[in-house]
Amino acid sequence: MRFAPNEDQAAFLAVLDQLAQAPEAAWKPAREWERFDWSAELDALLERNGFFDCAAEETLGLVTAAAMTYRLAGLPVLVECAASSMLRPLCAPDLPRPVAVIEDAGRPAPFLPVARSAILLSGEGVRAAVLGDGAVETVENIFAYPMGTLRRGEAGFRPLDADPATVRDTWRVALAAEMAGCLKGGLDAVVAHVRDRHQFGRPLGSFQVIQHRLAAAATKIEASYFLVLKAAQSRDPADAALALGHVQDASTRIVYDLHQFMGAMGLTLEHPLHRWTYRARLLRSALGGAGANYRAASARRWRAA
Amino acid sequence: MDFRWTDEDRAYRARVRAFLERELPADWAEISRHGPGSREQTEFSLEFCPKLAEAGLLVPHWPAAWGGADRPTWEHFILGEEMWAAGEPRGAQYMNVNWIGPTLMRFGTEAQKRRYIPEMAAGRAVWCQGFSEPNAGSDLASLRTRAVRDGDDYVINGSKIWTSYAAMAQHCFLLARTGEASSGKAGIAIFLVPMSTPGIEVRPIPSLIGHGDIHETFFTDVRVPVSARLGEEGQAWSIISYSLANERIGIPRYEFAARVLDRMVEVLHARQAFSDPLIQVRAAAASAACEAARLLVYRAVDKRARGEAVGAEASIARVAVAEADNAVTDFGLDFLPDTFAGLDHPAHLAHHERAIVTSIAAGAAEIQLGLIARNWLELPREAS
Repeated sequence: MRFAPNEDQAAFLAVLDQLAQAPEAAWKPAREWERFDWSAELDALLERNGFFDCAAEETLGLVTAAAMTYRLAGLPVLVECAASSMLRPLCAPDLPRPVAVIEDAGRPAPFLPVARSAILLSGEGVRAAVLGDGAVETVENIFAYPMGTLRRGEAGFRPLDADPATVRDTWRVALAAEMAGCLKGGLDAVVAHVRDRHQFGRPLGSFQVIQHRLAAAATKIEASYFLVLKAAQSRDPADAALALGHVQDASTRIVYDLHQFMGAMGLTLEHPLHRWTYRARLLRSALGGAGANYRAASARRWRAA
Repeated sequence: MDFRWTDEDRAYRARVRAFLERELPADWAEISRHGPGSREQTEFSLEFCPKLAEAGLLVPHWPAAWGGADRPTWEHFILGEEMWAAGEPRGAQYMNVNWIGPTLMRFGTEAQKRRYIPEMAAGRAVWCQGFSEPNAGSDLASLRTRAVRDGDDYVINGSKIWTSYAAMAQHCFLLARTGEASSGKAGIAIFLVPMSTPGIEVRPIPSLIGHGDIHETFFTDVRVPVSARLGEEGQAWSIISYSLANERIGIPRYEFAARVLDRMVEVLHARQAFSDPLIQVRAAAASAACEAARLLVYRAVDKRARGEAVGAEASIARVAVAEADNAVTDFGLDFLPDTFAGLDHPAHLAHHERAIVTSIAAGAAEIQLGLIARNWLELPREAS
């Protein structure tokens, strides 16, 4: 039982944290007030330096990929990490990235407009396709992801040699890491805000009601993070479903509180809070939502009972 | 990052479990029904802890010089999980093992260590913790019990309340004010007081927790030598901050909660009720709460194991533990209402009894939220 990263993990995460401080990763208003700020530069920089391949390294592993996904999801800019670093090594290491994961070919999926390939989880088995020009129809949306649909449906998707249940479980952990990271990004921004913002002659963060609710949010987010890391390492299907169910279950309350304490500022596109909270809202429905994921956890946890 | 138990850890757990299965008497369920602070369980602990000590299962993580075996912090924690899940046969003595002994080792004089530690390591000492007062609960720093220096002695006057184990304890780890009334945290000292000292009176308070578990303790002209003071005058706050970080995560309640949840699911399976999707969802939500609490406690233990100071991590863990206990209790209330009375299994009743206690003992969960806000999120103090 060791919570501290090993030497390689520590070095990896330290460099990642440095990159996250780079100008490419900083908050700036998006072009034409788009809801998201897709950072092709940071995404390419991370790819060039092999970050998304860490799960295959023996001393790093999927747990490091999960920690990276959590950290990157907390940035105000968007890169594609969850599928590339956690799912791709498992079932299709050669797929060009960014990678979009599609639960249902008829439904808009995050990252499709910027993706070079896609993994399809619906139907029989797991399939993948390299996306050619014109394969994707962009869908305008409020959820702070570039989203799109497939113009030609499932045509061109080929089966991957991977166990669908394992892929789905790993995707659960990846989604949970991304979602917990979004909530952490939002929490950090709101904590910074209530430290500085004075109302009624004192910092908002000195009001006990705000302190307690942010502390409760922090507790849930910390719990989600460790459930993710444990699931990434154990590869236990029950752990995976529990991790996603937990963060989905916790998210509504946290998102509500974060917006309460950001007030009207959080309703503008001049503050990035919405990028994290709207992503979290969308991910709340991923893989059937908390209900389906908790049921899956229950079936696996107590199958023998 | 590695969240697996090693083979040695697993073997150790198996050894502890086997010991408990072998050594706990047939009527243990009846004894433990009264709760860890009861007279029944305290008396039992005075027979059982010496056996644990003999088997090297009482203080294995303590230094060999003080009766331990220098075993890793994690083994101590595995031991605690198994003991608590079995109904805590160590009774009040878990406090000695977790924090009173280690605090004395760190801050005590040689004479104090020699006087108290061997007895704890042998499993023959029951302590109580004289902290809360009628007007100093969550606001502990406002306590009023006074210790006035008189030559080579201190004379103590005041009262303590909600004191667990006081009626059976041989010693009290007592906080008293040596400074001015307005001296706050800076004016408090710790005294190691024999409960047999003239002038101490203990009255039980009827409670929710178990028979005879909490008390009022009155100190009237209680005279103790200067050598009974632990640390210097004014040093109490820094000492107990160290101790309480251990105490907050000292009871692995999530382990008991998780096992009670497993039992509840077994019963629901047997009744063919577990196919209900709502029950499945709620069972997993309660399980997630238990696992979250477990991981957050382990994170704090891991810091301690690496020799780092544990701060707000312990408060975060405490809040999660309180939520886990409530999630399991609510699950039972909603789907197994007929087990309220503990008819099905004594563990159910014990869990129901303890769920509310969990969020209060060792510092109310709401107080922990304030500590998290200030020490973890670094939010500004509330204006006074």
